[in-house]
Amino acid sequence: MAANVHAISDAEYQEVRGQRLLGFLFFLISDCVIFGDFIFSYLYLRTAAPIWPPAGIERPYLYLAAVNSIVLFGSGATMHYAMEGMRHNRIRQFVWFTVATIILGSMFLSGQAYEYTHLHDTWAGSTFGASFFTLTGLHGFHVFIGVIFLITVLIQTLRGTYTQERHFGLTAATLYWHFVDVIWVALFFMFYIY
Amino acid sequence: MAVAEVGAAAGGHIHPPPDTFIKKYVFSLDHKVIAVQYFLTGGLFFILAGLLAEIMRAQLAGPNNHVLSVTTYNEAYSVHGSAMVWLVIIPLLTGGFGNLVMPLQIGARDVAFPWLNMISFWLFPPAGILLFASFLYGAPQAGWTEYPPIALQMPFGTSMWCMAIFLIGVSATITGLNFLVTVVKMRAPGMTYTRMPLFVWATATTAFLSMIATANLSAALAGLFIARTFNVPFYDVAKGGAPVLWQHVFWFYSHPAVYIMILPAFGLVSEIIPTFVRRPIFGYKAIAYSSAAIGLLSFMVWAHHMFTSGLQHWEQFLFMILTMTIAVPTGVKIFSWVATLWGGKVRLDSPLLFVLGFLSTFTFGGFTGILLASVPIDVHEHASYFVVAHLHYVLFGGSVFGIFAGLYYWWPKMTGRLLDERLAKWHFWLMFISFNATFLPMHWIGLLGMPRRVATYDPAYAGTNLFVSISAFVLGASMLIFLYNALRSAKHGEIAGPNPWGGRTLEWMIPSPAPYYNFKDIPIVLSGPYDYGKPLPYANVSQELAKVPMH
Repeated sequence: MAANVHAISDAEYQEVRGQRLLGFLFFLISDCVIFGDFIFSYLYLRTAAPIWPPAGIERPYLYLAAVNSIVLFGSGATMHYAMEGMRHNRIRQFVWFTVATIILGSMFLSGQAYEYTHLHDTWAGSTFGASFFTLTGLHGFHVFIGVIFLITVLIQTLRGTYTQERHFGLTAATLYWHFVDVIWVALFFMFYIY
Repeated sequence: MAVAEVGAAAGGHIHPPPDTFIKKYVFSLDHKVIAVQYFLTGGLFFILAGLLAEIMRAQLAGPNNHVLSVTTYNEAYSVHGSAMVWLVIIPLLTGGFGNLVMPLQIGARDVAFPWLNMISFWLFPPAGILLFASFLYGAPQAGWTEYPPIALQMPFGTSMWCMAIFLIGVSATITGLNFLVTVVKMRAPGMTYTRMPLFVWATATTAFLSMIATANLSAALAGLFIARTFNVPFYDVAKGGAPVLWQHVFWFYSHPAVYIMILPAFGLVSEIIPTFVRRPIFGYKAIAYSSAAIGLLSFMVWAHHMFTSGLQHWEQFLFMILTMTIAVPTGVKIFSWVATLWGGKVRLDSPLLFVLGFLSTFTFGGFTGILLASVPIDVHEHASYFVVAHLHYVLFGGSVFGIFAGLYYWWPKMTGRLLDERLAKWHFWLMFISFNATFLPMHWIGLLGMPRRVATYDPAYAGTNLFVSISAFVLGASMLIFLYNALRSAKHGEIAGPNPWGGRTLEWMIPSPAPYYNFKDIPIVLSGPYDYGKPLPYANVSQELAKVPMH
């Protein structure tokens, strides 16, 4: 239906955009619930455990995760400037900041892959490992999808699908990216600090 | 103006009418076709899951029968429960009636995202096939709730169960999201929230519950799946996991699911009663807001399923009080319906008959629900046949009677033809009597101490069980009347006309079956739909079509 978007009037576009925006927000809410389920499981197991992390299990290395977090939050900032570019019809700004976001997102994923391969615990090893790998894995999967999403909208932008007035796909990608950032804040505190 | 242009001009959907068979009937984007797809698929699973129940009753007809082995019996009740909940009641009420009626009642041309609607239907048949195919690989044996540790020890069929219900979960979440956007954004001009038909209120609340709770179900099932497949120790006590954790995450979905299974039925009861007693519904706002209240409360009561799972006393007390609180908004609805019936000009056509059946059986099930909410009684009755009886009074006596009431009511709108009234009344009375004869005695054998989920039992309960089994066979046979009636109506059913019952909601203002774009002109709503005796509150609809027929 994206092909039809330019064929309709402004009022109709606003109506369709409103529906899609609400639908996308609802999607993010239900996605939040999915993270919430595993976060609840983590808190439940943690409360039930006499010591935490369980005996013999070490927390993952904080500094690597801290650097990785800065990379991810930085990608949130570049995403923001990319959208600012689109809002003011500065396509070049949009393109370069989106490329930066994609690179930062990929760096985050590489950092996570490095961390996974250097940990001794596994998700079958302990309740800490179970929660850690499920939640950070689910989050990493979201980042991966986000990177694919950004590459897609970048290509579509270069082809001229989006304009200053009509770019719901970009709005959705931005919302998704910031959502994934916010989830990481919770996970970072849960697994590395608290 | 061509239809497609009309659609674009009024902000409707801009997909052109389909021309090929595949696009029209298989991968259709039309909410009315998708509704029929849900009805047919859900109906098929209803027959399969019902046959499982009949086989189980054959096993239970005597205390030591050998119709099924113990293992097969465990598989049968697990798949029966899972299928009835996820493949029959939820898809029929939300996917079927929600799709068929809700867009028509709000004066929309389709749901907000027809494409998503199609996807969520097509996740449903594979889920059903996976669930029933699990018999080939050792079906789940821990009931529809699949508690660990048993669920972790069973063969591959339980993993198939996880996948099947996961698909259903994704499908229901998408449908919920889609319907909620539709109700919020696509109501006809003038239809404020307090002018929405009560079925729309119920569907919107259900959609909200589906969106939140069912997303949680999908996550929980993914958790169980990885726990089974990769030994992730969420529920493994040896590694610090907790089986009770599964019960929490499962019931955090499955208690709202109880309301996902009953709220749409509440909604269609609220439509049918005013139509057949020709009176405004009593307490419109009370019914509407109590739907929302039930929806919110349903998230705070899940642990009442776990009174015997080792909760703290304060937790038991809290969940007991909260559970009993739900009886208040439910009671508000029951009293409002009774007050609507009171002094009305009652026309005992089949939809109203099923609604009266619903009212009596559901209220009875509600009473035993309050009993079970009380911790001391629940500790005594937990996992006995009393629970089986309670559950079937709300899910069969509530949801399934509701489904049939809705089918008889909206059949003309769906197909353009009426069902035969005489057969419908036979269906109702046979079903109502045999339903009570099947499930009422279960209360007694439950109180006497017969446990549920057993293939053999103490011969002391033999007489009652034989009676229950015979009633259950009659109950199954009563469904054949409906099947015959439905097939017969395709050829011999009376042509219904746009408004056979004299309803006042928007779906009756258009021809039957509804045309592809539903409304040629989007109607304008001037007031609420239930003011019988006043002129119709719509502009832009054909007054000729909406004329009340003379019965």
